[in-house]
Amino acid sequence: METATTASRLSRKLILLIALGILAIVAASMIPAGFFAWLWGRLNVFATVFLGIFVEAVPYLLLGTLASGLVEVFLDRDQMSRWISGRPVAAAVSGAFMGMIFPVCECGVVPLTRRLFHKGLPLSAGISFLLAAPVLNPIVILSTAAAFGWGQMLFWRMSLSLLIAIVTGLIFSVEKEAANVLRPALTHSHEHDHGHVEINDSFVEKIRKAFLITADEFFEMGRYLVMGSVLAAALQTFIPQSVLLTVGSGPVLSVLVMLGLAILLSICSTVDAFVALGFVGTFSFGSVLSFLVFGPMVDIKSVLMYLQVFKRRSVFYIVAIPFMMSLLSGLIFNYLMP
Amino acid sequence: MKFRWNLDTAAGSILGFLAVLVSLVVLFGAYAGVRVSTNLPGDGVIAPFQTIKLTFSEAVDFEMASSLISVDPVLDGYLEWIDARTVQFVPIRPFELDTVYKMTLNPDVVTAAGRELKKGYVREFTVRDPLVVYLVTDAEQSSLWVMDLKKNPPRRLTDESTKVISFDAARTGEFIIFTAANTQGGVDLWRVSRAGNDASLLLDCGRDRCTTPVISPDTLRIAYSREASGPTPDLPFGSPRIWLLDLQGGRNDPLYEDQQILGYNPAWSPDSNRLASFDGLTDRINMIDLKQKKQYVFESNTGGPIAWSPDSNQMLFTNVEQTENGLRTQVRFVDIALNESQTLLGANDDSDYSYYSLAWSPLEQKALLGFRAGKDEPSQILWLFNPAMLEGIVIANQKDYTYNSPQWDPWGNAILFQQFKLRGVFNPEIGLWQPGFSEPLLLNQGLMPQWLP
Repeated sequence: METATTASRLSRKLILLIALGILAIVAASMIPAGFFAWLWGRLNVFATVFLGIFVEAVPYLLLGTLASGLVEVFLDRDQMSRWISGRPVAAAVSGAFMGMIFPVCECGVVPLTRRLFHKGLPLSAGISFLLAAPVLNPIVILSTAAAFGWGQMLFWRMSLSLLIAIVTGLIFSVEKEAANVLRPALTHSHEHDHGHVEINDSFVEKIRKAFLITADEFFEMGRYLVMGSVLAAALQTFIPQSVLLTVGSGPVLSVLVMLGLAILLSICSTVDAFVALGFVGTFSFGSVLSFLVFGPMVDIKSVLMYLQVFKRRSVFYIVAIPFMMSLLSGLIFNYLMP
Repeated sequence: MKFRWNLDTAAGSILGFLAVLVSLVVLFGAYAGVRVSTNLPGDGVIAPFQTIKLTFSEAVDFEMASSLISVDPVLDGYLEWIDARTVQFVPIRPFELDTVYKMTLNPDVVTAAGRELKKGYVREFTVRDPLVVYLVTDAEQSSLWVMDLKKNPPRRLTDESTKVISFDAARTGEFIIFTAANTQGGVDLWRVSRAGNDASLLLDCGRDRCTTPVISPDTLRIAYSREASGPTPDLPFGSPRIWLLDLQGGRNDPLYEDQQILGYNPAWSPDSNRLASFDGLTDRINMIDLKQKKQYVFESNTGGPIAWSPDSNQMLFTNVEQTENGLRTQVRFVDIALNESQTLLGANDDSDYSYYSLAWSPLEQKALLGFRAGKDEPSQILWLFNPAMLEGIVIANQKDYTYNSPQWDPWGNAILFQQFKLRGVFNPEIGLWQPGFSEPLLLNQGLMPQWLP
């Protein structure tokens, strides 16, 4: 009796397998002949774009996590409170300028900000730093100057990034409870055992611990960088840039298209000026400027990383406020400057 | 109950405020329409061949926008679209001196979506007086200087530490390319603006000698002679070959792939499409049409100057040939479009006039020719003539003077040239002639004068 049941189960599985096989063959025969060649071509593009984004971002993530490790072992909460004022405006302004000390792009700034929050950095300063550091740092200033010269584009990129970062930081300063903004892990003071620093640790021991923290954080944030890069590469592969470019004429649409491109392309802020240079002529000054201001603050991979630090509601504001301010700036420039 | 700000109310308020601002800007923008700006300087004074650029605030329809642009008084030129937002007026003839021009862009629909240029655009401009750039060489310097024709004191363009060997001024008058020796024994290409004192190295030629630079009239490329250094410093330089340097992209390549083709004294056609040069080894002029990728060869053994007609289809050059009366220098005329050539002057001369200096007016059928006035006269005079009619007038023929290297101004009106007194101390002078002059005017002392429009 039992053998018969087993045989029946096996035959049912076999029938299901054969049916699925036939279905797959029928489905494959219905697909146009060129589809697989097209898909192969797309996959090649996907792989190239993914590697382009990932390889470009990885060194900066490493730099950011290294800075984070060093902050953890060499900076204590007292020092942080001495350096950064508790007053909202002063904290937001000083946070925005911290990028000059920590030259990180948008990939590296997230783990570093997370670490600084852990060290007691005020919310307003942290948000300002998060948004301003990818632009207001020496490397990006030089690369923008190399692409556009020491002129208006550089000046407005820096000024608007600073303004947006400070305004967003100030808005977050009204929230007195960090727990309402940050994910729970950040509001507790626990840390991995190997990263715990003792006061009497030697310098070499501190460095060793900094590297351990760096490695931990690199692999933790690296996952989201990989996921973000995959997503960005997939979108770039299946929504070609040319589609957006053909849509993007006119003072309003051109800014929206460039803001969309900034999210889609996910280019590191250290090199985005050279990419933006290619849009000059096709797009107006305001549109290119909005790309250069918004891109370093928000893109696919950075949003995925933000979600590891902030609550979803906070991430929405971190994305929406810079988006609206970049849009407004782009529009004003489009209407006031040729 | 006391109202307390929290993140949601603060962020919501600012987002709402920003949304209102965005709506207001869009509404205002829709009302304001498309705007435009130009590259015309604030004082409205431009170079005679300046391209006037119009930049729209957004991408426009080429045909719609082009139909609204005009220049008054009308001048030969064309509109060239650089990208979807930028168009430039490229003059074929120079803007005239002492004329007030008006660039107008009439208000109308300029985009396919129906967006309007609501406010018309009108800008007036005039043309600046040309300057003269020249070389001063003495025991202390070999520098470029510039002067005007109003007797203001000349000013130096390059400092004493840079020893200028040769130079060429751009047709736009905005910059000068010059050559200067480097520490390796080679000669480099340099660039200096018309304002001066900002010389910068353009091409490091290492141990090679890069000489006789000539800027294409569209100012996009430079043709120059390059002599490769020997394998060791004590060995002589190789034969000169023509190279092209792209001023925009930076590409720098030999003009001819064939290493057997030598070249010096390059000469651009006015349309920048053709380039002629001498090959001293084969006694030929090699001319290449860069647009059509076609090469032409003409017999010439003088290495003297090549003069292009304003339409870039005809050339004048010199050649020495054996005639019934003996060796005679001749002026040859070539019509490239018709594929015809003929000896214009010198075929039946009773004595050799040593025709040498040649310059074709940039606008009309008139040219300048330098030749020996008499059989036993060492000096050269300058003759202004019509190449079609072979009629003309002598413009420079002062006793004890010889003249060469004539240069037309952009309007084909005034002529600069080098003049030397045959007796006494060697003292190169710069002469000027223009219609109405009975004899040349001495401008200053100096070498290789050129117009800086």
